[in-house]
Amino acid sequence: MAKIISPRLGTPGDDFDEEAALKAGINVQALIDGGFISTSKAAKSAKTNSEQEETR
Amino acid sequence: MATSTILSNPVVTVNSVDMSDQCTSAVFHVNYNQLTATAFGDTDNKYVKGLGDHSVDLEFYMSFAASETWATLKSLVGTTTTVIVQPSSGAASATNPKLTLTGTFLAELPVNFALGELSTATVTFTGGVYSEATS
Repeated sequence: MAKIISPRLGTPGDDFDEEAALKAGINVQALIDGGFISTSKAAKSAKTNSEQEETR
Repeated sequence: MATSTILSNPVVTVNSVDMSDQCTSAVFHVNYNQLTATAFGDTDNKYVKGLGDHSVDLEFYMSFAASETWATLKSLVGTTTTVIVQPSSGAASATNPKLTLTGTFLAELPVNFALGELSTATVTFTGGVYSEATS
């Protein structure tokens, strides 16, 4: 889900419904390019790749 | 009795972005192609409505700051978007209709740089589906 960045678009921090916008003819990519919304997804937790030691 | 409207707070939205505070003029052209329907026996020309061919002209002060005119328009060139013009802020009504052009095309973004003047940009969105909301 995209987040609103610019107050010209809405309340910063609120969710931006991309699907509804596309249906309304909004150019979502232009909003991203212009810095009006952010589509950065939550960072995934770092993978742990530790090898378990064999217990004998 | 004739009435006059002094626009003080019209709303102009381009691609969902409220550009009212950078806009100085908006001309909404609701136009339909005029097709000749005159036939033998007629003594005067007759016409019928053809395809809609709408457009909207907008004049903006140019600002290159974040979330301003340049940021809004630059990525729309060569693409389609939605433009909304309303005479006044507030809910759409019969006396405050919301004019919308959906899927309208922006062909160019000419920017005017003149010595001693505020930079401006006059853009024309052409085509798209016209609708008028009054509620």
